[in-house]
Amino acid sequence: MSGVPLVYYLGLSGILFLLGLLGVMVRRNPLLLLLAVELMLNGANVALIGFSRHWNNSDGQIFALVVMVVAAAEVVVGLGLVVAVFRQRLELDVDQMSRLKG
Amino acid sequence: MGERIVFGVAAAAALACGALVITLRNAFQAAVALIGSLASVAVIFILLAAPFAAAVQVIVYAGAIVVLFLFVIAYLGERGVAGAPDRLAPYRVFGAVAALALLAQGAIVLLDTRLPGAHSDPRPPGDIGSPRAIGDAFLSSHLVPFEATSLLLLAAAVGAVLLAKRAIQMEGGR
Amino acid sequence: MATTLGWITLALPLAGFLILALWPGEPSKRVSAAVGCGSILGGFGCAAAIFLGLLGDSPEERTHVSRLWTWIDLGDLRVDAAIQIDQLSVLMMLVITGVGFLIHLYSAEYMAGSRGYRRFYAEMNFFVFSMLLLVEAANVLFLIIGWALVGLASYLLIGFDHDRPAAVAAAKKAFVVNVVGDIGMVLAAVLLIRELGTLDYGAVFAAAPAGLGQGTGVAEAVALLLFVGAAAKSAQVPFHTWLPDAMEGPTPVSALIHAATMVTAGVYLVVRMHVLYQLAPIAADTVAVVGAITLFMAATIAIVQVDIKRVLAWSTVSQIGYMIMGAGLGVYGGAMFHFLEHAFFKALLFLGVGIVIHALAGEQSLDRMGGLSRHLRFAYVTVAIGCLAIAGFPGLSGFFSKDAILSGALADGALGKTLWVVGTLTAGLTALYMFRMLFRAFWGPEPAGGYAHPPHPSGPLMAVPVAVLAVLSVVGGWIEVPGAWHGIDDWLHPVFADSVGAALVASGTDELITGICSSVLCIAGIAAAWWLFARDPSRRLRLAGVARPARGVLEEGYRFDEAYDEILVNSTRDVGDVLRRRVEPAGVQGLVTATVAGMRESAKGLQKAQSGLLRTYAFMIVLGLALVGVVLALAIH
Repeated sequence: MSGVPLVYYLGLSGILFLLGLLGVMVRRNPLLLLLAVELMLNGANVALIGFSRHWNNSDGQIFALVVMVVAAAEVVVGLGLVVAVFRQRLELDVDQMSRLKG
Repeated sequence: MGERIVFGVAAAAALACGALVITLRNAFQAAVALIGSLASVAVIFILLAAPFAAAVQVIVYAGAIVVLFLFVIAYLGERGVAGAPDRLAPYRVFGAVAALALLAQGAIVLLDTRLPGAHSDPRPPGDIGSPRAIGDAFLSSHLVPFEATSLLLLAAAVGAVLLAKRAIQMEGGR
Repeated sequence: MATTLGWITLALPLAGFLILALWPGEPSKRVSAAVGCGSILGGFGCAAAIFLGLLGDSPEERTHVSRLWTWIDLGDLRVDAAIQIDQLSVLMMLVITGVGFLIHLYSAEYMAGSRGYRRFYAEMNFFVFSMLLLVEAANVLFLIIGWALVGLASYLLIGFDHDRPAAVAAAKKAFVVNVVGDIGMVLAAVLLIRELGTLDYGAVFAAAPAGLGQGTGVAEAVALLLFVGAAAKSAQVPFHTWLPDAMEGPTPVSALIHAATMVTAGVYLVVRMHVLYQLAPIAADTVAVVGAITLFMAATIAIVQVDIKRVLAWSTVSQIGYMIMGAGLGVYGGAMFHFLEHAFFKALLFLGVGIVIHALAGEQSLDRMGGLSRHLRFAYVTVAIGCLAIAGFPGLSGFFSKDAILSGALADGALGKTLWVVGTLTAGLTALYMFRMLFRAFWGPEPAGGYAHPPHPSGPLMAVPVAVLAVLSVVGGWIEVPGAWHGIDDWLHPVFADSVGAALVASGTDELITGICSSVLCIAGIAAAWWLFARDPSRRLRLAGVARPARGVLEEGYRFDEAYDEILVNSTRDVGDVLRRRVEPAGVQGLVTATVAGMRESAKGLQKAQSGLLRTYAFMIVLGLALVGVVLALAIH
């Protein structure tokens, strides 16, 4: 009994994900919201790499790397939007950004 | 035993930093807390026989992405949070209850799982996380996703440029 | 060799149709006529070559089946795209392409004033293709396909003048009645598949005696269902009402489709399926009786018709009645012989009358004719030949072919002898109504108000086919002379080799009695027509008041149309009215209204959920995830 069983990693992954989720639900500042989303993605990555280790297969790691790329893209676009909103001299409040609801 | 200690410390640090990320109201401080969380998760990756993923985590995530965050935060200055009171504050408790329900479900699933080997000592890992193995996989069996990510990055870069340019034009700038 | 030519015969009219239909822009009339007539002429050449080829084979080996590919392969059932060339189908092919070519040629001049010249030839070629498919098919499925396609062609051509409501209504009527028949055919085919597991002619006929049995209910059902199709296509009672209305189509169409070829498809069907009818005596007797009723009824109606084409239409119904009666009694050779001769003289009559109609700029009423023999001598002579032929004047074609059927009937039992009386009497009626038409149109004074249009003689394109058909009507009957030689019977004999029962052979006495009786009645009919309509033209007007109600019934064709309107159309319309007024607003429309209202209301409710608040959406996702987890947990435990 020296290694760490899979369930611990999965538990860590789940809690990280839930923390991020709570952040998304609670924060109104889009910047903080994006940070919370990063936290969620990280939680998912822990699970992916944990399973990769469990099955002794690199597919999960590949998946996690792709997730990181997606995260990078998401941050770039997200921050671009934040800057665009800021330049419109609007308030940085996701509750105010509701004009697309139709 | 040493591995367990490392895991315990890293996990605790990741969770503590994660909690800070969502509780700190100052965006700069939250971003720094996120670096802590990301770094701790990188340690976890090393424990999981994924040194390459850990390196990418530190370089790309903690290095590039969070730095990008910090740039934007610095650019926007302190006029971040709105002054108006949160309309949804009274409903916060529902969010908490739902999240707790998810947590409880996750816990039940993890304790109850019958996945072989999920509760026992893991087998010794093979060569799955080294840069050589990852590169090999990316350029052979996972070539299509690899190319797809490059397209995605290109699209994101173009999109960001467009967004920024549109914003500059609307300002009547250069 | 024979089958290759058979496929070519089939392909040529189809090619002609496709070329004309897909020709970019509007081809010149010369091109349309050349393509339209050329494809049929080519088909006739192939059919003639097949015929000559078959002459070289020994009589028992003249059946050739050719398979291109498998059309349907379902478990035990296999249906091929295949054609069968044998004596019967070659006879049909020769008539279809030969008479068809003459009529196509005639149309080149007759339709010259029509706007839809290209469309006319395209549709005529399509018809010839469909009809050839019908007679060349080697299984019941392709027979039905051809059957339905000729119905379509008939519909298109009856409604050729689609800006005239009467033509459109007649086309619709023909189509609907024919579809009723098609349903009978399809049901018969389904029964055959169920009982015998095959649709190929050879296999069906080989398996039928054991598989269906003699006189069983299934055998009778198959034969009767097939006859529903045959009666609808061949305008037999009670499905005959569409054919007189079909005269709304151009006269060449009436000649080709509604006289010479398509309407005789029912005769072909009964003859082709003779094995099935021999296994089903009740059905066969029904066929014969229906034919006899039809031939008598149509002849009586023809006596009082004023529209010259309707006289011919009813006479067609009557003559097909003869063929159907013969086929039902088992006089297959006689039925096909009469089909052949009828194609000659009825096409001749239609085309000759077409010259008259063309000359009078579309006038079809006998009341506006009279004395035309002075203006249209060629038409007069040819129509007179046609009338003599159809009336069965001794020595002309109708005499031999009608007598072949009647003497066969006389050789049969009590039923045959009864029908012989009906048929022979009707031969006299035939002479009466045909010569009434001839005398009223060509003899006597000119109509009171003058002609609708100064009559002008026809050109060579119309004259040549009529002349050819006139010659054929005169000499055509001599291929089968009682007591001397039997060309048609001998040629077709191997086709009926698989007959179950003994063949019906007329004795010399039967033929002699029939010949004398029908000759006497024919001449008596002509004399009666002469006395009533020619000797003293005013006699007709003086007799107009006699038997008024009975004539009214005849003029309206025994009021079948009214009865159908009353029983079928009106009751259906009443049911539809009730459904529309009572059921529909609450039922179908109510359902639609309720659905729309429900959608609108629920959308109003759901709209509130779309707040635009990002964090609310996130909460909804979390809530949904939690609920899914609970549901999964409940489902697993």
